[in-house]
Amino acid sequence: MLRKKWLPLVVTLIFILSVFLTSCGKTETQTPQQSQEQKTTPTASVQDSDNWTKAKDTSKIPEASKARTDTLIIGLHEPKGVFNPLYSETSYDNYVNSAIFDSLLEVDFDGTYIPSLAKSWDIDKDNNTITFHLRDDVKFSDGTPLTAKDVEFSYYVLADPTYDGPIALSAAGIKGFKEYNEGNADKIEGIKVIDDHTIQIQLEKVLGTSLSDLNIPVIPQHYYGKDFAKGKLDGVKALEQQPLGSGPYVFEKFVPGQEVRLVANENYWKGAPKIKHLIYKTTTEETAVQMLQTGETDYETSNITAKKDNVELLESLGFVDYSLLPTNGYGYIAFNHKLPKFQDVRVRKALAYGLNRKAIVDAVYQGLAEVRDVPQSKVSWAYPDEKDIIHYDYNPEKAKQLLDEAGWKLGPDGYRYKDGQKFTIHFLASSPNPVNDALVPMAVENYKELGIEFVAEPLEFNAIIDKVNKGDFEMYFMAWGLTPEPDPYTIFFSKGSQNKIGYANPKVDELILKGREELDMNKRKEIYHELYKVLNDDLPYIFLYQRNDLNAKNSRVVGFQISSFRDFTYSLYQAEILAY
Amino acid sequence: MDQVNVNQPLDYKKKNNLKKAPSIWRDAFHRFLKNKYAILGLVILTFMFLFSFVGPYFSPYLDAKIDVSKGNQPPSAEHWLGTDNLGRDVLLRLMLAGRISLTIGIAATLIIVLIGGMLGSIAGYYGGWLDVIIMRLADIIYAMPGLPILIMLGAIMSDLKIPPPQRIYYVMFILGFISWVGLARLIRSQILSLKEQEFMLATEVLGLRDSKKIIKHLFPNVLPTVIVSATLGVAGAILSESALSFLGLGVIPPTPSWGYMLSAANNMIDFAKRPWLWIPPGVAIMLTVVAINFIGDALRDAFDPRQKI
Amino acid sequence: MTQFIIRRLLQSIPTLIGASIIIFLIFAMAPGDYVTSQLQNPKMTEERAAQLRALYGLDKPLPQRYISWASGVLKGDLGDSLLFKKPVIQVINDFIWNSFILGVAIMFFEWLIASIVGIYSAVRQYSVFDTIATLLVFILYSLPSFFLGLVMLKVFAVDLKWFPLGGMITTGSNYTGWAHIVDVAKHMVLPVATLTLISVGGLSRYFRANMLEVIKQDYIRTARAKGLKERTVIFKHALRNALLPLITLFTLELPSLFAGAMITERIFNWPGIGKVVLEGIYIRDYPLFLGYTMLITVLTILANILADVLYGVADPRVRLK
Repeated sequence: MLRKKWLPLVVTLIFILSVFLTSCGKTETQTPQQSQEQKTTPTASVQDSDNWTKAKDTSKIPEASKARTDTLIIGLHEPKGVFNPLYSETSYDNYVNSAIFDSLLEVDFDGTYIPSLAKSWDIDKDNNTITFHLRDDVKFSDGTPLTAKDVEFSYYVLADPTYDGPIALSAAGIKGFKEYNEGNADKIEGIKVIDDHTIQIQLEKVLGTSLSDLNIPVIPQHYYGKDFAKGKLDGVKALEQQPLGSGPYVFEKFVPGQEVRLVANENYWKGAPKIKHLIYKTTTEETAVQMLQTGETDYETSNITAKKDNVELLESLGFVDYSLLPTNGYGYIAFNHKLPKFQDVRVRKALAYGLNRKAIVDAVYQGLAEVRDVPQSKVSWAYPDEKDIIHYDYNPEKAKQLLDEAGWKLGPDGYRYKDGQKFTIHFLASSPNPVNDALVPMAVENYKELGIEFVAEPLEFNAIIDKVNKGDFEMYFMAWGLTPEPDPYTIFFSKGSQNKIGYANPKVDELILKGREELDMNKRKEIYHELYKVLNDDLPYIFLYQRNDLNAKNSRVVGFQISSFRDFTYSLYQAEILAY
Repeated sequence: MDQVNVNQPLDYKKKNNLKKAPSIWRDAFHRFLKNKYAILGLVILTFMFLFSFVGPYFSPYLDAKIDVSKGNQPPSAEHWLGTDNLGRDVLLRLMLAGRISLTIGIAATLIIVLIGGMLGSIAGYYGGWLDVIIMRLADIIYAMPGLPILIMLGAIMSDLKIPPPQRIYYVMFILGFISWVGLARLIRSQILSLKEQEFMLATEVLGLRDSKKIIKHLFPNVLPTVIVSATLGVAGAILSESALSFLGLGVIPPTPSWGYMLSAANNMIDFAKRPWLWIPPGVAIMLTVVAINFIGDALRDAFDPRQKI
Repeated sequence: MTQFIIRRLLQSIPTLIGASIIIFLIFAMAPGDYVTSQLQNPKMTEERAAQLRALYGLDKPLPQRYISWASGVLKGDLGDSLLFKKPVIQVINDFIWNSFILGVAIMFFEWLIASIVGIYSAVRQYSVFDTIATLLVFILYSLPSFFLGLVMLKVFAVDLKWFPLGGMITTGSNYTGWAHIVDVAKHMVLPVATLTLISVGGLSRYFRANMLEVIKQDYIRTARAKGLKERTVIFKHALRNALLPLITLFTLELPSLFAGAMITERIFNWPGIGKVVLEGIYIRDYPLFLGYTMLITVLTILANILADVLYGVADPRVRLK
C-alpha cells in the first residue's frame, strides 16, 4: 500500500528532473541569434493612435514572441468564463465578449456614440420613439444574417423577470417594460420590429441618456432562443461557454484560470481580422510586466498600475509601447450629509482645503494621477473649463478660517468644539487599498493641525458598502467608474439610487433633469458645465483624483487606436503583427 | 522493535517527584544560564524590547511631519534605514511597529499554548465524552472558514463601536482562539500514548492526583512539541496580524506593525528597488523568532536532567 | 477497530450538521451580500437590487435559506456559483485538481526534506549544520511567501528563462499525453519549490524536536550499548518513535491538499481553487464558498478519524476506544 502511494510522487520527481535537463538544453540554443538582422522597419496599414509612447529599440523584441507569427496574446485579469455579453459582470469577461459580439452602437474616441450594428437612428421627440436602422451586411459567425429579430430577442432576455445579469434595461424606460418584467404582459408594448433591419423602441420619454441606455450587445435568436419563453432563460444560460456572435473573433476554447482562445471570423462585416489567432491569457499584477518582457504576452490591458515605477520599468525594456489614458472615473471622499457637521458647506470646504490631496495622490501614483475638483473625467465632453472652477489646493490657513466662520472654535486641548461637541471624524477605510494607506496618515496629520480628530477604521469593502447603505458612516474613500454618458443622475440627484450620502441640492437636481431631457449635444454640454460648476462649489464629496489606465504592448503588434472611452477591443480586427 | 521500546525511565520521573520543587527550578535555572544559546536568545529578545519600547524616544523623527517629497529615499546618514513612500523614517516605524508585533506575537502564542495545551491534555488524558466534546469542537473550529469569520468580527466590532485602538487586545484572543486546535490535537495524541507507559502506571500506583499527573508528568513530556509550536506560533501571529489589520481587527493606521510593513512592499518593484522597505521588518521578525526558539530549546534542555551541558 | 471507525463516522454526523450551521451563519451574517458587492455599478437601482435578491433567494429568512441550501447539499446539489454562473460542483471540479497536484508534489518534498534536515539537526544538535539550518528555517519562515515567489520568478523565469513565468500550460498549446505532463511539470517547478521551501521549515523543527527527545531515551542508550551501528540506532530505533507524533501532523495536512494556496497560486498564476474561493469570499458568492467549505470540512473530519486509526496502528500501546 505504501509503495502504491509513493509511485506517483516518484514519477513526478522524475518528470521534474527531466524538465530541468531539457529546459537547460533549450536556453543554450536560444542565445546566439540576436540583433544581427538589421532589416528596414516593417510598416503597418493602420498605425497606432498617437497617444502611444513608442518603443525606442525594436531589436530587443524577445525571440519568444517573434516566433508567434499568427497569434496575438493579450494579458488580462482572469476571465471568469461568463461568455455571454448580457450576463458577464467583470470587465475582463467583457473584453472577451467584445471580441465575439457586437453592440448596436460604438463609443467614439471622445465618448460620443457612433454607428455600429445600427447604421443610423432617428429620434422622434414628439412621439418619444427611437428607431434603429440596422446594417444589412452583418452575419453571425455561423453565416446567419443578423436581423431586427435578434435585437428584439436580446431586449426580451434583458427584460425577463428571471434575468439576473448586470444590465439595467429598466433605466431606459421602455413602454410596457414594467408590465412585462413585473406583470403578466406577454409582450413588451414598446418594442416593435418594423422590418428585417428596422426596430422601433417606444419610450415613456426620450432623454439625452436614452441612446446610452438602449445600446445593448446583440445575441442571435436562432442560437440562444431555441426554447425561450417568458421566465425561461435556461437555454440562454446553458450556452454560457459556447458563445456565438457577430464580432471579429470566434470562440474556440476556454481553459479556466488560464486562457481563452479565439480564431478570426473570416466573415466579419468590417473585414476579416488580420491576425488569425487571439488568446486572452490570465496575468497577475505581480508578473504582468515580466510576461511582456519575456514575450509570453503581446499586450497587457489591466494588470499594470499607472505609476512611475512601472512606466520606468516598461521604458527600460526598450521594445514596449505604452499608453497612459485618463481613467474614466474618479476617486472621492464622501461625507454623510445627514450629519449636521457636514451640512455646512464651509466645513466641507475647510476639509477640502485642509487636506494635502496632491501629496496623497503623488505618494500613490508617483505623479501619474491628477488631483480633481470636479466629479467628471477631464477628457469628457461634459468637463467644465478649468478656469471656471475652484481649485482646492492645500491651504490650512484658509481651512482654519472657514472652520472659525462655521462656529467650530479651538478649545484649550487643541481640538475644535461647537455646542460643546468635539470635532471628530470617523473614517471608514476599505482595505487593503493603496490610496487609503497614504490618505489615512495624511488626513490624521493634516486634520490634527486644523484641530480635528480623524479616526480611521479599516474594514473590508462589502462591510463598508453595508454600513453606507444603512447610513451608518461619517466619511469614506471610494472611486466611481463612469460610463461615456456623463449624466450623474444616480449619484447626485437627491433621489438617485446611488446617492447614499443623503446629498440634496435643488439647483443640482434641476440641472441634472435639464441635462437628461435635452437632446441637443451642444446644449447638454452647457448644462453639464454649469452643473459641474455648482458641484465643484458645493462639494458633495471631497473630490480626490483621476488616475490613468496603462496599456502596454510589444511594438511588433500595431493598429491599436484607443482612447479613454474606446478600448482596444474595437481595434482587434485591424491590428496586425509586424515581422521583425 | 518491541524489546527496545522500553519507555521513559522510571527513576527519572520518581526523582522529579521526590525532590522539592525549588531545587528543580534552581537546577533548571543553572542549566539554563550555562547554555550560551539561551543567553544569546535572551540578549536578542531584550534588545528587541528595548529597541521597540525605548528606542523611539531617541529618534529625531518622533514628531516629524509627512513629507512626500522625501519619500522612498534609500538609507542615508539622516535616515539610517531610508524612508517609505510618505517620507516617514523607516527606522522609527520599525521601532514603533515592534511594540505592536512583539506584544501580539507573544500574547497570542501564550493564549494558544494555554488553551491548546490544556484542552489537548484533558482530551487525551480523560478520554470518553470529554474527549469527544473537545475534539468535535476542535473539528468544527478547524473547519471554520477564517476569512469570513474575521470579516464578520471586524464588522461586529465596528457596529459595537469598540474604539479602534482597543481592538488589538481582542485580536490577540481571536488569534489565540482560532489557532489552538492544531496544538491541542498534537498534544492529545502524544498523551494518548504516554499515558499507557510504565511511569504513568507508577503514578497511578503512587495515587497522585490527576492535575498533578497531567501537569507534572505528562506536560513535561509534550514540552518539545509545545515549544516548537510556540516558536512557530510567534512568527505566525506576527505575520497574520497584518492580515487582521486589513479587516479592521488589528492595529489602525497610521500605527505600523512589522507584518503591515512587510506586506506594504508586496510588488516586484519595491522588492527589487527598495529593499530597505522590507529587509528591516523581515529581519526584526526573524531575530525575534530565532531568539524565542533559542530560549525555548534551552528551556527544554534545562528541565531535562539527563541533558549534560 | 471497525467498531471504532463506525462509531467515529456516526459521531461525525452531528459534527457536520453543527459545522454546516455555523459556517452558514457566519457567512450569511457577514456584512453585505452578492448584490451589495455589485452596487458599484452606477446604474444599479434599489428596485433592481431587491429583484436580484429575490432571484437569488437572499431575501428569505435565514432558517429557510439554510434548509433549502442544506437539502440541496444532501441531494448532491451545491447550487450555482454567482460569480461563475454555473454549478458550484463544476467550478470546484475545474480548479481543485490543479491545486491537488500542486499540493501533492509540495507535500512529498516537504516531508522528504524536513525529515532529512530535522533528523540530521537533531543527531548533530548545536553543530554548524544545525545552527545554519535553524537560521535558514526562520529566515524562510519570517518572510511572506510572495517574496520568495517573486525571487524565484525573477531569477529562474525572467533572468535565466529556465522555467515559465507562471501559469499551468504553455499558452495556446494543445499537448496531450506525455507532452502535456511534461509541460505541466515544467510549470510546477517554481511554485512547488517556493511552497516547499516555506513549509519545510516548520516541519523540520517538529522532526528535530521529536528526534531530540527520542535520542535521549534510555532504550536508545541501550541500543547503542548493545553495539548496534549508529545508523541502525537512528533509523531503526529512534526514527520510528520520533515519527509517531508526526502522524497527527501528517493527517491534519491531508485536507489542505485540496485547499489550495491563495497567495502562491496568485503569484504563479496557477489556476487553483485557493484564489477562486478568495475572490468568492470578497464578492459574497455564498454557494461557491459554502460548497467549498463543506467539502474541506468533510475531508478534515475524515482526516481526523484516519489520524486516530493510524495512531492506533502505529503505536500498539494506544487503545482505540
